[in-house]
Amino acid sequence: MAEKFDHLEEHLEKFVENIRQLGIIVSDFQPSSQAGLNQKLNFIVTGLQDIDKCRQQLHDITVPLEVFEYIDQGRNPQLYTKECLERALAKNEQVKGKIDTMKKFKSLLIQELSKVFPEDMAKYRSIRGEEHPPS
Amino acid sequence: KMENFTALFGAQADPPPPPTALGFGPGKPPPPPPPPPGGGPGTAPPPTAATAPPGADKSAAGCGPFYLMRELPGSTELTGSTNLITHYNLEHAYNKFCGKKVKEKLSNFLPDLPGMIDLPGSHDNSSLRSLIEKPPILGGSFNPITGTMLAGFRLHTGPLPEQCRLMHIQPPKKKNKHKHKQSRTQDPVPPETPSDSDHKKKKKKKEEDPERKRKKKEKKKKKNRHSPDHPGMGSSQASSSSSLR
Repeated sequence: MAEKFDHLEEHLEKFVENIRQLGIIVSDFQPSSQAGLNQKLNFIVTGLQDIDKCRQQLHDITVPLEVFEYIDQGRNPQLYTKECLERALAKNEQVKGKIDTMKKFKSLLIQELSKVFPEDMAKYRSIRGEEHPPS
Repeated sequence: KMENFTALFGAQADPPPPPTALGFGPGKPPPPPPPPPGGGPGTAPPPTAATAPPGADKSAAGCGPFYLMRELPGSTELTGSTNLITHYNLEHAYNKFCGKKVKEKLSNFLPDLPGMIDLPGSHDNSSLRSLIEKPPILGGSFNPITGTMLAGFRLHTGPLPEQCRLMHIQPPKKKNKHKHKQSRTQDPVPPETPSDSDHKKKKKKKEEDPERKRKKKEKKKKKNRHSPDHPGMGSSQASSSSSLR
């Protein structure tokens, strides 16, 4: 799994580095740089070919669209992961709270109903009893 | 109270209307349709046996007050009452991202990417979103640029005007930049390793370093040889390029 990402990462890094070097050559061009420039231009082409080849290995990867917004705003995409995890935990806690409260309510209700309607509740318990002993 | 309860739940003969609106299924069967004219005995089946709702199963059928009772959900079902982060073995990720402060800027995540990457993508039309909204035309292949085509890339000599030199703009680095640079060349372990993958990345780059250095040296030599007019240029470029990596 991680290998194919390393592969892509490596190609991207090489590509970025090539572009950077191309930028340096171009920003102060000398006639003698022409050979280097030509070479770099073809490196760019092969770099694009290499990156394009990586697509085959990555077709099953999905990326959440929201993460693009972070990157587009110049923000660290790890913040997205962080916020996702925090949201998940908060929701998890909320739901757990609800479930716990409902469980408490259930046992209280059974307790109180048993006081008032002992016969009916005994019946109820005998139906539910074995699998779910009232807590 | 007692009377109310049995009136609600215990009156088999005269049940309350089925609460279908609550999503409990058919519940208690509706009052049997009027017998067809001339219908003999046995056409109307006993209501409880024939039309017990699927939820109110075996145990509920004929169990007096609890005709609406359904199976309880299985206790094995995964719900929010378990810590789902632990359940999916994500504690490591949680501690990594939420345990300490994650740096805000994109350049903290991609420290080696040249250029001003912290600016919003909409400023320079480099947003990833636009790749989805206006996907590029695909399908062509990448072919090497041959002789005649390369002739199109003859450039004017001399430096670019200052306002065009976007490649050299860098987000301001932190004060420990110098230390960081040193550690790159001497110490294999960088001072800050935000994540395992970053660590690997840096290591990888180190491996490439000698070759890159050699290239840079060559370039520098060339420049010094061929452009005595701009001695300052060459050195400033060399320093900026070394600060990039």
